[in-house]
Amino acid sequence: MEGWAGIDVGSRTTKAVLLLEDGSWFSHVVLTGADPQGAAEKCFKVVLDKAGLDQNVVLEVVATGYGRRRVPFAHRQYTEITCHAKGAAFFFRDIQTVIDMGGQDAKVISVDGAGVVVDFVMNDKCAAGTGRFLEVMAQVLELSLEEMAEEALRAKEAASISSMCTVFAESEVISLIAEGVPRDKICWGLHLAIAKRVAAMVRRLPQGKNVAFTGGVAKNRAMRKALEQILGVKLLVPEDPQVVGALGAALLARDGTRCK
Amino acid sequence: MQVGLTTTVPIEVIYASGKTPVDLNNLFITSEDPEKLVSKAERVGFPRNTCGWIKGIWAVVHEKEIKEVVAVTQGDCSNTHALIEVFEFQGIKVFPFAYPFDRSRELLKAQIERMMQHFGVGWEEVKKQKERLDRIRALAHEIDRMCYEDGLVSGYEDHLFLVNTSDMKGDPEAYGRQMEAFISMARRRKPFKEEVRLAYIGVPPIFSDLYQKVEELGGRVVFNEIQRQFSMPFSTDDLVEQYLLYTYPYSFSYRLADIKKEIAKRQVDGIIHYVQAFCFRQIQDLILRKEVKLPVLTIEGDRPGALDARTLIRLEAFLETLRAKKWS
Repeated sequence: MEGWAGIDVGSRTTKAVLLLEDGSWFSHVVLTGADPQGAAEKCFKVVLDKAGLDQNVVLEVVATGYGRRRVPFAHRQYTEITCHAKGAAFFFRDIQTVIDMGGQDAKVISVDGAGVVVDFVMNDKCAAGTGRFLEVMAQVLELSLEEMAEEALRAKEAASISSMCTVFAESEVISLIAEGVPRDKICWGLHLAIAKRVAAMVRRLPQGKNVAFTGGVAKNRAMRKALEQILGVKLLVPEDPQVVGALGAALLARDGTRCK
Repeated sequence: MQVGLTTTVPIEVIYASGKTPVDLNNLFITSEDPEKLVSKAERVGFPRNTCGWIKGIWAVVHEKEIKEVVAVTQGDCSNTHALIEVFEFQGIKVFPFAYPFDRSRELLKAQIERMMQHFGVGWEEVKKQKERLDRIRALAHEIDRMCYEDGLVSGYEDHLFLVNTSDMKGDPEAYGRQMEAFISMARRRKPFKEEVRLAYIGVPPIFSDLYQKVEELGGRVVFNEIQRQFSMPFSTDDLVEQYLLYTYPYSFSYRLADIKKEIAKRQVDGIIHYVQAFCFRQIQDLILRKEVKLPVLTIEGDRPGALDARTLIRLEAFLETLRAKKWS
């Protein structure tokens, strides 16, 4: 059995997908840490082991993500924008918009029916609206990311968080804690504040009804709820949204081989 | 004696006076360490959230010991007003020049004549200088044509030769010889085979490697909007008319007419709109996006240096998108 691999070396995690010719696929996620090349190699090896296959069966490897140039065994590189669009279109037909929220940035991508990028916007040069922002806030609240999402989902109302700068928002959260504002209210306020920021990016592009949500942050149910509330649409979330970029890369590797 | 310019002004007047115009933007960005100049300005009190070009201009005037500056007070950046005050406070002679907001011929003529009076020259000498400089400008126009029509000139080379027409590098004839040598060399080249043709809209970039990255990623800039304007690409013998046709200091809608005409002529696939951090021109991006029916990537530069990773990823994704569109 032959296949194609996609490696997504993100700022926080590295993801690998092995796509086989029968359409089945295997994935794995590791922390990137300070060694993106090592993370890519490790992730690739694990995904091959999961499939019980040798590297020789892989016809082409496409790398994506911030560390895409640090994958020596990759044949080509694409940006995460192209890969998330391609990956999301694999799961959902007729999507018009993809929201990708990763560790270090948020992207909104307009796509055509085939998953080809039409236009895109990225967040500003700061961590607002990203996984890292949520991680920092969870740390301040002494919660895990999962616990913070659960707290947010329990809340009946939201605390107002006006600052989206990670540093200033941290001070704001500390002040709210000191004022005795319930933790669930703060958690929900944080999720809504990020959702508003991302929704503003969505509105800069042509509005579509079918909106997919990908990237590691899409695993967070509270963020899904907040975005759905602000955007007024039901988001399409793949089973494992974190590996959509790597899957898109594997699909592009397959397309590339077939074009030759 | 060198006369510093904060942006393009009728250099014919300065050349007629026997003085040498020097575009302070070019002097700053081609200096050995432009970032160091920006930091120097910040150390003396220029705010962090002020245009990098303003800080660079201030620092390079001091570093190169320039004693006289022509500063544009209308038609460019309003930060120049405070820059003038700082220069005067520090004993540097400043002549303010204003492009009329409404493109009034009478007002522009009056400004040019005021400048002529300041430099002690008459119309006859200025007209002679216009004829002299137009011969050099024609070479820059040929390089620009070879860029978009023949594909023999890179976007960076086009940018470089056009941008330097703002002061003719202080020696028009020497600059002319440099361009002639370049043209003869470029004519022997094989044409570039770019996958994507781009327009570069906006002031010249503060980034050092934007054009190189575009070309590494399979694109080529075939229209450098403002840089081309510096070269006065107009057929007129009338100096006042020339600086009325010059789009940069006037309204964005006036600039747009030129942009639309050129992107159609040059068969452009997409637009890079460069905006400087903290610049009022960032607001004009929304008009550009509504008015031009081509994909637009807006990139913002702040300090001198190489492209940051985030801008690079956006540039790369933009080129991927344009390529996919072209092939679909």
